[in-house]
Amino acid sequence: MREDRGKVLVIPCSGIGKVHGLLSRESAYLVTDELAPDETDVVCLALLVREDEETLAKVRVNPCITIDGCGKACAQKNVEIAGGQVASAVQVAKILTKHRDSQPGTGSELTEEGWAISREIAEAVAEEASRVSAGQEVA
Amino acid sequence: MAAEMNKTMKVGIIACSGEEIPEGTISRSAVRRVLESLRPSETVTLCLPLFLAGNEGERNFARTHPIITIDGCDKECARWGTEKHGGPVSRALVVTDILGTSAAGCSRSSRERGPADERAVAAVAERIAAEVDALMKEGLEAHDDGSS
Repeated sequence: MREDRGKVLVIPCSGIGKVHGLLSRESAYLVTDELAPDETDVVCLALLVREDEETLAKVRVNPCITIDGCGKACAQKNVEIAGGQVASAVQVAKILTKHRDSQPGTGSELTEEGWAISREIAEAVAEEASRVSAGQEVA
Repeated sequence: MAAEMNKTMKVGIIACSGEEIPEGTISRSAVRRVLESLRPSETVTLCLPLFLAGNEGERNFARTHPIITIDGCDKECARWGTEKHGGPVSRALVVTDILGTSAAGCSRSSRERGPADERAVAAVAERIAAEVDALMKEGLEAHDDGSS
């Protein structure tokens, strides 16, 4: 399984009911597609929960950063249940408390303000991924 | 009685929302469109991660209502999870079956959404809405048969 080792896996919950889930999803894409494409990769949470062997193997050998919309922490819990290591767990709801009067959008689309919050989350995740990745290389 | 049932019956829709492929984004966006625009009175959505994490409210709903799953690919994670924890689904749709190869030009992120994404979401949402209509009709007919 050594060939699976390498990238930090970013796993959002993508919860469908509220803007929190969309923020988690779009933040993950900002990290993996724009901010840290060489160090990170996104993984389907549904595939992980479905016990897909390839996905389980990836999650068990690579550090994971989960981005959950709410305190139910579905992404974090499911990575832990699958035997993965959660290097860092981000919660969108907590971040939104710093933006009390903001209108980030809906579960279908983000406003400009929502995209700005998404970028703030993504930058924090990318920074964490870089730190985790550097630690992994040293180890 | 039929009208009364029509007001109260809801169809649950569960998308896989798979993050790795554009079809996962299409599944999510199409479900949101059905809920917000096409069939807002007849449908609700269940959060798949929450459902799979063991939320009893979501699982009870799946056991007692017709459910449509909409998966991005043929691994059918939404269907698999729903049937494992909530029983058989009423309809199982797969984006790649509906769109064929036309999702190839679509994006994962809504930042890059363009005409191809819009067409794909519209086609899948219309298909879900048609299945909702069929299930509502089946439900009403079964109800009428039972009460006659």
